[in-house]
Amino acid sequence: MPRRIVIIGANAAGVEAASAARKKDRTAEITLINQEKTAGYSRCGLPFVVGGQIPNFKDLIVYPQAYFQMLKLNLKTETKATAINTKGKTVTTIDKTGVTETLQYDSLILATGADAFMPPIKGREKQGILSLRTIEDGEKIAQAVKDGAKSAVIMGAGLIGLETAVALIEKGLKVTVVEMLPQILPQMLDADTAKQVQEHLQGKGMNILTGKAVEEFLGDEKVTAITAGGEKIEADLFLSAFGVRANTKLAADAGIPLGETRAIKTNSRMETDVKDVYAVGDCAESPNIITHRPTCAQLGTIAVRQGKVAGTNAAGDYAQFTGVLASAVTLLFDMEAGVTGLTETAAGRARIEVVAGAISSKTAADYYPTAKPIRVKLVVEKESQRIFGAQIIGGKEVTQRVNAMSFAIQKQMTVRELAKADTAYAPPLNETWEPMVQAAEMVLMKLR
Amino acid sequence: MVEVDGNEVPEGLYYSKDFAWIKIEGTKVRMGITDYAQKSLREIVYAELPDAGTGVKQNEPYGTVESVKAVSDLVAAIGGNIEEVNQEVKSKPELLNEDPYGKGWLLIVNPANLQEELPSLMDFAQAVEWHKSQGK
Repeated sequence: MPRRIVIIGANAAGVEAASAARKKDRTAEITLINQEKTAGYSRCGLPFVVGGQIPNFKDLIVYPQAYFQMLKLNLKTETKATAINTKGKTVTTIDKTGVTETLQYDSLILATGADAFMPPIKGREKQGILSLRTIEDGEKIAQAVKDGAKSAVIMGAGLIGLETAVALIEKGLKVTVVEMLPQILPQMLDADTAKQVQEHLQGKGMNILTGKAVEEFLGDEKVTAITAGGEKIEADLFLSAFGVRANTKLAADAGIPLGETRAIKTNSRMETDVKDVYAVGDCAESPNIITHRPTCAQLGTIAVRQGKVAGTNAAGDYAQFTGVLASAVTLLFDMEAGVTGLTETAAGRARIEVVAGAISSKTAADYYPTAKPIRVKLVVEKESQRIFGAQIIGGKEVTQRVNAMSFAIQKQMTVRELAKADTAYAPPLNETWEPMVQAAEMVLMKLR
Repeated sequence: MVEVDGNEVPEGLYYSKDFAWIKIEGTKVRMGITDYAQKSLREIVYAELPDAGTGVKQNEPYGTVESVKAVSDLVAAIGGNIEEVNQEVKSKPELLNEDPYGKGWLLIVNPANLQEELPSLMDFAQAVEWHKSQGK
């Protein structure tokens, strides 16, 4: 009898798991259950459809119908998994017409994702508070813009909040971002790096209020204003970007244990504490490569890597997930901002003694007309002199430097080795002294 | 030839819903996979093809193509005896990506029941509509 693999969720992690499973087992019956109408699309691309860089939401579909059919993946859309029985190895589903079904599995993969989080703010039951997690959310924002929204309040200065804020400014709206913490991108960057990004955004006309919590939603039925830090801010469009929370109810109800981050606990094969049940993507936690503590960084790159591992294991083969550095980049107007590994703040929280150094340089020879500024900050463990983190912001060429630092951290490179690294240069393309190498020299001096 | 959502659909071919095309060449039939299929699979790195002299049946798999991330059966659009297999595709599977309707052809088949099997395939106009219905 063919192996039966059931996957709950059919976006980044789920489809990757299905593809890996199919590669290892050509005869398995693989079923994907997807609550939304559209499967296999890129959530990360949503702000860029709102901003108009990508013409249509359907352009975000990474895996078209043909893909599922060619790989013989049984995709059930607009279908919700309502219960898991880990003893009987079944999943119960209900489709949009109300028809329920019980599916038997040999391996189950939970890729249930995360949901937009709304703190208990007074008036939050009022209408008109949008979020940006799904294509339908995106369409509502696009519609509000089309309907003539002139101003927006974005609540939360994380990646989704800022990327959407940029998109709306590009669409001509007046945008105010409200962040409870004293800095923007608090999960991603240290305060000094974040400040430079914030100045760039303010220079482009974004109104940013940090250190101010949203206290109330005002308006009769529909929200027309918020109060934050005692100040009333009116707008036509309100976006909740407080962050997302792992979607774990289905797992928890089935007795599948959660971990310390409140996401589903997994081992290095992405298996949960229940045999033959795996969890991947935004709903699962995995260890940080440096601290070895569980993290739930909820990034697309982590989702696909975990998905591949779980799919391989679910199909009876063997694969291990190597952990998370939470490498991430974003483009905000014409500034790229990226991070890998630990920030100084995160290192401090983990009680790791670090030395940090930052240098400002250029993406090409200083005299070259197209040279753009770039700033590299390195976070180095004092005792071992190993690189534990990097934050890079600049006009271009940030992403591949973040990747290079990620590789360096994974290979346990010391700052001394980085300071002597062989690098490439030509006047239109780089400085003679690579900025990452300069930053390493700066840290070495501080370590003296 | 027309393009539907960036996928090429040439005239003069017949198409199956398993992403195969055929071209009738005299009494023989040339078979391959569509542009839509190769684009969905992305860079194909391996093609497992049958030997000439063996038979294929309509709607049944006769081989597989594997890309970095995916693997798919090749499903015959028409049944018959395999006269010729494109050996070049075995050593250069990227031809399936580069030229799916040309150098990336897969089989030449001596059809067993062409007149009976052909009506189940889509002609050019039907294939264009079907590609549109695929949503991307």
